[in-house]
Amino acid sequence: MAKTLTTNTDPVNVPVHAESRTGELPECYFVPATDIYETADELVLLADLPGIKPDGLNVTVEDNILTLRATPAQAEKAPGEPLLEEFAAGEYYRAFQLPADFETAKIQASLRHGVLTIRLPKSERMKPRRITVKVE
Amino acid sequence: MALIPFRGRTMPGATLDTLREQMNDLLNRFWSGAAEPFGLAEWAPALDVSETDDAVLVDVEIPGIDPSTLDISVAGDILTLRGEKPNEGGGHGRNYHRVERRYGSFTRSLTLPASVDADKVEAKARFGVLSIRLPKREESKARRVEIAPG
Repeated sequence: MAKTLTTNTDPVNVPVHAESRTGELPECYFVPATDIYETADELVLLADLPGIKPDGLNVTVEDNILTLRATPAQAEKAPGEPLLEEFAAGEYYRAFQLPADFETAKIQASLRHGVLTIRLPKSERMKPRRITVKVE
Repeated sequence: MALIPFRGRTMPGATLDTLREQMNDLLNRFWSGAAEPFGLAEWAPALDVSETDDAVLVDVEIPGIDPSTLDISVAGDILTLRGEKPNEGGGHGRNYHRVERRYGSFTRSLTLPASVDADKVEAKARFGVLSIRLPKREESKARRVEIAPG
């Protein structure tokens, strides 16, 4: 799925009234394509954010809601007469409800080649633990 | 992938008119045999193409692709882009909750609107967007014609 354009009245992708927690939503925005996977000790989120510079990016976690917002520096449209337009520059927004508690102080985010990677380490009590059965 | 005709900037909250136009366009492409079979369309990055008086400018969205692995070539008036978006995931012990990003290799070609000087093509990539500048040859540059006073 490529990024899709959504308006803020669209109930899709705006769970649990996230807008009331994160301030004003842009009137229309792109929903970035995102992969999420889980390993034994962390949750990793990869989002395609082409055209976004690190200073235009805002990632917050509040009440177990992870919110990404990104604003392109300016509408970097090539000059001249447009012949083909398959993408547009605009604001990105997406919010996710996190399943349970994470070490919020240790969340890491990095941006490389237009892909945002967020690593959320699981808290100690969420990590799977192998229980050894004693043989008596 | 077929070239999609430019319709100007579509406003968010697209009107039913645009929807109907797009539907007609889709059906026309289907009946003309130009469309890919449903569900089998290959992945290719989105392009913006524009033309100025002295160059053709192509912007490509390539999030997740190392620009140095891209293959950009110009043969005659055909520009071809080849590359691969690697799947950094797919390792062991990964439990996927959501997979929306597209992976894999792609090839995309387009016919340039003017003849360009292949030796002077410049490409740079920043933050997941590749910008290619293809300067036009002298003979295809726009020229202003002066009208001789009569």
